[in-house]
Amino acid sequence: MNQETTEESNEESYILVWLTGIVFLVAMAAIFLFVPTEQTEGPVQRIMYIHIPSAWLSFFAFFIVFICSILFLWKKEREWDIYAHASAEIGVIFCSLVLITGPIWAKPIWGTWWVWDARLTSTLILWLIYVAYLMLRAQTEAGSMRARYAAVLGIVGFLNIPFIHFSVLWWRTFHPQPKVISSEGFGKGMETSMLVTLGISLCAFTLLYFLLMGQRIRQEKLKDEIDRLKREQLYSS
Amino acid sequence: MNLYLNQIAAIVWKDFVTELKTRELLSAMFIFALLVILIFIFSINLSIVKASEVGPGILWVAFLFAGTIGLNRSFMLEKENGCLMGLMLVPADRTAIYFGKLISNLIFLSIMELFILPLFMIFFNIDLLSHLGPLLVVVFLGTLGFCALGTLLSSLSSNLKTREIMLPILLYPLLIPIIIGAVRMTGQILDGTELFDMMKWIGLTASFDIIYIGVSIMTIDHILEE
Amino acid sequence: MDNFGFLFAANAFVWGGIIYYVYTLKQRSRELERDLELLKETLNRESR
Repeated sequence: MNQETTEESNEESYILVWLTGIVFLVAMAAIFLFVPTEQTEGPVQRIMYIHIPSAWLSFFAFFIVFICSILFLWKKEREWDIYAHASAEIGVIFCSLVLITGPIWAKPIWGTWWVWDARLTSTLILWLIYVAYLMLRAQTEAGSMRARYAAVLGIVGFLNIPFIHFSVLWWRTFHPQPKVISSEGFGKGMETSMLVTLGISLCAFTLLYFLLMGQRIRQEKLKDEIDRLKREQLYSS
Repeated sequence: MNLYLNQIAAIVWKDFVTELKTRELLSAMFIFALLVILIFIFSINLSIVKASEVGPGILWVAFLFAGTIGLNRSFMLEKENGCLMGLMLVPADRTAIYFGKLISNLIFLSIMELFILPLFMIFFNIDLLSHLGPLLVVVFLGTLGFCALGTLLSSLSSNLKTREIMLPILLYPLLIPIIIGAVRMTGQILDGTELFDMMKWIGLTASFDIIYIGVSIMTIDHILEE
Repeated sequence: MDNFGFLFAANAFVWGGIIYYVYTLKQRSRELERDLELLKETLNRESR
């Protein structure tokens, strides 16, 4: 890495940091000041404006893991392995946040922390799959083997999503659906101000994803550089 | 093509001969499955719960746990004796190794299941004989899905230091669709539903089987690479 | 209607989580950068 490119990327990342910060401030203002309180659910409904974007971010991150895994097995370039790793980590973190905020919203609205509803169950399974993915990465030493295994798991895991979705959906068909806003009818019952707030929040979280990705990728590359130098030192001495 | 089939047959035959000589795996799987069923019987009150409602779930949990033992062994044996190296040095396609292992896992699991089913019938007092045909179809579909993904992941985990721990952690979340499907279908069959009335579940499990065999064919080259 | 507590808890978790993650990221980056500098220095000294 020569000096010029690092400075350039630094400048870019500063722009991204400021942009993300500003969009987040706008999103916060929209969530807590601008948007009217929902009639039936009360203030707790505002959780939705961080819950849904977190869910979107984690699913997006897992999709990126899938794409990068395919590209890695195809091209065998370390680059894609780094991207997949970074994305999986960020995805798991936001998936955890989804699983935490979900029950907090559900307790006052549904009266229970957890319902074995299709969406909740599949999010939980997804979380388990990608935690296993990260564990696999943590247990193996860096190198071609780890990258290949992780890529296979990244592909297998993402292809599982449709199966999980349908099996969990049909699993519960015999039981009454909870009488709440099922996500299918979510957009319909929402006012424009709510949709706008949700949109801003989605933007903010997507920007955050790219910001974190950039940091995480830079870190892995630093790690590689250190390993390379250490090897050099070993050979030279 | 003929050569390819011969290679697969040779791998399956090799596993069979090993098992006939040592007789470790089948007996262990059978006893373990039996123990799982027993523990479940002790942990639920069969006088309150209807046996045909909890039975299918317990049966499949037993199959799943016992099957994991089989999967763990299937590549570990090769690994321990350096046989995997030998297998990979053979001028055979890597997919032949996968299919050979898949078939031998499938056969061992099926034999174990054939021994467990009569005991299940006796313990839970459920009449299986009147729906034996559909039941076997469902058991086969579920077991095939389990083996398709399980063989792929056990070939992967056999190279890890913590293989016995990692295999279930990697495998079980991915198997949830097939577990739900198999348990649901078994339950419906015991209730007397025809196979035609649960086409969506059959479609789900069958497509799971096909897709994961396909993915394994495409990715096994990257796992068995040294 | 007064479920502000839940709203607060959810926000605390999300922001706490994100800030903690960013903090650990920064920490790790700083460590790595320091290691890299040290390595480069020792390499330079050795080559001289």
